[in-house]
Amino acid sequence: MKRERLFWLQVATPFIAILFAFLIGAVIVVAIGKNPLYVFGTMLAFAFGQIDSLGLILFRATPYIFTGLSVAIGFQLGLFNIGAESQYKVGLFTAAVVGYSFPGLPAIIHIPLTILAGVAGGMLWGLLPIVLKLKRGVHEVISTIMLNYTAVSLLHYLLTGPFLDQNQIGATQRIMRTKFIADSARIPTVHGLTKLLHIPLPNYVHLNYMFFIGIALCAAIYWLIWKTPFGYELRAVAGNQAAAQAAGINVKRTMFITFMLSAGIAGLAGLSEMMTSYGYMSVDFPSGYGFTGIAVALLGKNNPFGVILAALLFGFLERGAEGIQVIAGVPQEVITILQGIIILSVVVAYSILSRYIRIQKKKEAA
Amino acid sequence: MVWTALLIAAAVRMTIPILLTALGATFSERSGVVNIGLEGMMIAGTFWGAFGALKGGPLFGFFLAMVAGMVLALVHAVVSIRFKVDQVVSGTAINILAAGLARFFSIMIFHMATTSPKVNAFAKISIPLLKDIPGLGPMFTDLSPVIIVAFILVPVSAYVLNRTVFGLRLRSVGENPLAADTLGINVYLMRYAGVLISGAFAGLAGAFLAVEHTGSYIEGQTGGRGFIALAAMIFGNWTPGGALAASLLFGLAQAVTLRVQIPGIPYQFIQMLPYLLTIAVLAGFVRKAVGPAADGIPYEREGE
Amino acid sequence: MDTGQPILELHGITKRFPGLTANDAIDLTVRQGEVHAICGENGAGKSTLMKILYGLYQPDEGTISVRGQEVKIAGPSKAVSLGIGMVHQHFMLIPRLTVTENIILGQEPRRGPALKLEDGIARVAELCKQYGFSLNPRAAVGELSVGEQQRVEILKVLYRGAEILILDEPTAVLVPQEVRELFVNLANLRREGKTIIFISHKLDEVLAIADRVTVIRRGKVVGTVDAAATTKAQLAEMMVGRPVLLNLDRVEVRPGEPLLEINDLTVDTSGRAALKNVSFSVRAGEIYGIAGVEGNGQSELVEAIIGLRAMKGGDVRIDGRSIRGLTIKAIRDLGVGLIPEDRHKHGLVLPMSVAENSILGFQREKRFRRGGGLDYRGIEDFTAGLVRQFDIRLAGTDVPAHALSGGNQQKVILAREFSRSPKVLVAAQPTRGLDIGASEFVRNQILAAKRAGQAVLLVSADLEEVMSLSDRIGVIYNGEIVAELAGRAATAEELGLYMTGSRRAAQGGR
Repeated sequence: MKRERLFWLQVATPFIAILFAFLIGAVIVVAIGKNPLYVFGTMLAFAFGQIDSLGLILFRATPYIFTGLSVAIGFQLGLFNIGAESQYKVGLFTAAVVGYSFPGLPAIIHIPLTILAGVAGGMLWGLLPIVLKLKRGVHEVISTIMLNYTAVSLLHYLLTGPFLDQNQIGATQRIMRTKFIADSARIPTVHGLTKLLHIPLPNYVHLNYMFFIGIALCAAIYWLIWKTPFGYELRAVAGNQAAAQAAGINVKRTMFITFMLSAGIAGLAGLSEMMTSYGYMSVDFPSGYGFTGIAVALLGKNNPFGVILAALLFGFLERGAEGIQVIAGVPQEVITILQGIIILSVVVAYSILSRYIRIQKKKEAA
Repeated sequence: MVWTALLIAAAVRMTIPILLTALGATFSERSGVVNIGLEGMMIAGTFWGAFGALKGGPLFGFFLAMVAGMVLALVHAVVSIRFKVDQVVSGTAINILAAGLARFFSIMIFHMATTSPKVNAFAKISIPLLKDIPGLGPMFTDLSPVIIVAFILVPVSAYVLNRTVFGLRLRSVGENPLAADTLGINVYLMRYAGVLISGAFAGLAGAFLAVEHTGSYIEGQTGGRGFIALAAMIFGNWTPGGALAASLLFGLAQAVTLRVQIPGIPYQFIQMLPYLLTIAVLAGFVRKAVGPAADGIPYEREGE
Repeated sequence: MDTGQPILELHGITKRFPGLTANDAIDLTVRQGEVHAICGENGAGKSTLMKILYGLYQPDEGTISVRGQEVKIAGPSKAVSLGIGMVHQHFMLIPRLTVTENIILGQEPRRGPALKLEDGIARVAELCKQYGFSLNPRAAVGELSVGEQQRVEILKVLYRGAEILILDEPTAVLVPQEVRELFVNLANLRREGKTIIFISHKLDEVLAIADRVTVIRRGKVVGTVDAAATTKAQLAEMMVGRPVLLNLDRVEVRPGEPLLEINDLTVDTSGRAALKNVSFSVRAGEIYGIAGVEGNGQSELVEAIIGLRAMKGGDVRIDGRSIRGLTIKAIRDLGVGLIPEDRHKHGLVLPMSVAENSILGFQREKRFRRGGGLDYRGIEDFTAGLVRQFDIRLAGTDVPAHALSGGNQQKVILAREFSRSPKVLVAAQPTRGLDIGASEFVRNQILAAKRAGQAVLLVSADLEEVMSLSDRIGVIYNGEIVAELAGRAATAEELGLYMTGSRRAAQGGR
């Protein structure tokens, strides 16, 4: 099969699957008595027709790039890091603490330090599942899910207890949050850049440089997996663990590093919001990024660049959902259902495609 | 911590959802299909159980919940058996889908995102004679009939698995599907059956949670029980009897979190107990649990 | 039906797979009450044909007639209803279930949904008596010996009333004694009026048991002959199409220092001892063959040397260096090359390209690096060199390894391991699953390794291969080396006796 044809097939497949999901979505829309063309039209216009929407799509996509990349890295090795959901929360917490703990630091040190604290927090929370898996054979799906629930309780205790900001002056009701992070720990938004380029991005859109860090990270991970010896070892273990081991590759070490990488990257997911609009970590901080990350990874076929596209898609879906709720009166949850259907149709489509490709390749080599 | 009959009674109530789901999971996994999506099927069970109970009484609620669980199970079965998608991926997708669907339908039907109105449960029964035992009496009074049904399902499941033709074929398909296929057994059909049974049981478990235990549908009330049930099944070595013992352990842990306060320990740490216990159980497992040999591996006949 | 009448007729059976015609217009007639052997190399199409007979595949063209009636065999249950029973080469048994459960599965004695296990047990016992098998109906199949498991497979088809039995390479995993027992059982079956189709590539056995022989080559029938009227050489020629050199050029090399020393090696597996105090050594420029039926510790020996399996006692030394405590990588770096028994499991990462497979284990070497990453161009060049040197047939080096034929896959592994110039080469079942051309190539490469001064440990279930290639032969039985013989002096009979534990060399008999 020509390389080109193969490439386009692989690109077209998710699109077809998404189209199929939208078809089902249209059925649901009809079922609740609305016109699907109107609803989807509204969605597109709202999402792409306004500057603030475009900025918000990128802003919303940022956490998904990180959790998506995190899950995707794990998936490459068959490691299901469902714990991205709590790893990002723990990362948020450690980053917030570092953020407010060193007020005198210059921003050029404080920002990277805070980011690294986020990575460390994620890695910390990922340590137990991978160690248990490697030493005791505990399946990481269940252990990470259990830790997701554990983290909720633990963080609740920490944020309402020892780490609660006691001096909330002038607040009518206390928020269960940490102290505000120092200004030197806040990451700048892109408004400096957009003003330069004469793009009228409103101030309430907090799109910031974490987005670009995310993109860069995807490129770096791509290079790591496909162009370095470590990545070779990862792919060898993923392709045939027994053969990799017989060849001398340290399977456990590879799994450990990969999972730590995954957990560390997950730890960054909340920072885009925490280091700009929020400025603190709280009990009510947005939840669910980890689960969407799973969807993003699957949709992006565990490929870092696919993850970027999938994250943007979900950013678009969310922004569009706001639009259709406000303008067309359709509940946002249709989009959540759509996400679930997208995942299913995409994985089915990929499965069909890969078997088709395998048969074609066998025909040729014979 | 006081070992009162009330605590035991609470533990039994907490056991039931885990037990039912774990029993169902046993059928699915013995046939060779890993079902991570049980949490989602339970969620469907909680919603549709409450809805059904509102519309037509608790029995209808349980029936509807069972159907809802089976519908999701069918999706999981088709995706992972027919299309051979990785079973964990498929199950995870089901969980995401179920959560979204529950919220959506809740808004549509109840006009509230996260709860439903109160529903009526089955009339409670008390076991005669046993309820009059001093000290232990509360354990046998005001029981939901579903509790009795759930306990009866344990030996029933064991019988079906070990002493029926269906059970033998189901087990064979989970150990060596190729061998079963060559003997004329329909591997796909057996696996569909295993998965559908697990979905039905999970739906029932969810209905019990919503209808009998809490009294209404509340978003998130499953609280990870679908996964705890999987751990219980593994701990119970993939047998119904083992699932019962393990589920009782987890039920006790959950009852403790609700009813016990230890001065000096913040309640959040007690909340963590069931989840940490699950991890400990899976990690501390002394004997190497050996599951069905073909568990989790999609079956594909050569030459097709 | 009278003995001698055609009970099974195939006309023009054709079966195509993507890129391959497995069966090409096959005509075959089997007479009632005969033992009919089907011979062919690996990949000739024998298994495909049998799977068609058993309903696992559907022919693209052609007809099948059973007892004079044309039939369509849509699936195994139809085949069974026609009285056709298949005893597979790779047993289709469920270790965790009992003998009875395995036999009755799919046709269980029942009352409604309930299983009547006791009835099943009684029936199995009855069959055992009728055909002279000795089995415990309640035993778990996982605990039986290979020969016993095969009897369970045969009982499975007899239980279902098979009149025509197809045995696919039944002696592949049997010791000579067990082969004799099997032939006795087959004689009993024939006496009871059964028809037997016997697939094998072992010509000795074929001539010993069969009435008529059909040879298949490359999907076509070459001919059908009476066993009494033909010879091994003639059959081999029909199978391969050219005379087969069953004797290879033995190379004379003066052996050097011992490069591989096994000292008192003890290895456990699942609670029992797989190797007990095994000791031998292999010198540079020497081929040491391990003869033995599979399952006597050979796999564990290879795994211990490579480092995949822990040593409970004793030691292994590579050029004087002990491997105790070393990682697999460290052992490989000492100069150990491996041709694994199962190339799909331990030899290749099938989804990866041929080029990437050619550096498996050596991906961190400086010569494959560029900057912080891998030098893919350099890797491609390296692989292209190997492809030329070893005559590997493929479309390009970026083809995934799973698309190659078994022979070419083995060549990739050989090329990779040889390119390291190892001191010790461990070759485990190196020609398994390969056709005659590829097998010849591999054996010549092993001789080349000997000439290059490597110490070669050859583990093979193919007795002829071991006898043709080895300078010395160690016979392994039950985890012990029970005899050591010079390669030239050994005979198949003698080796067979050692292999089955029927004889042990005198203590110190080396």
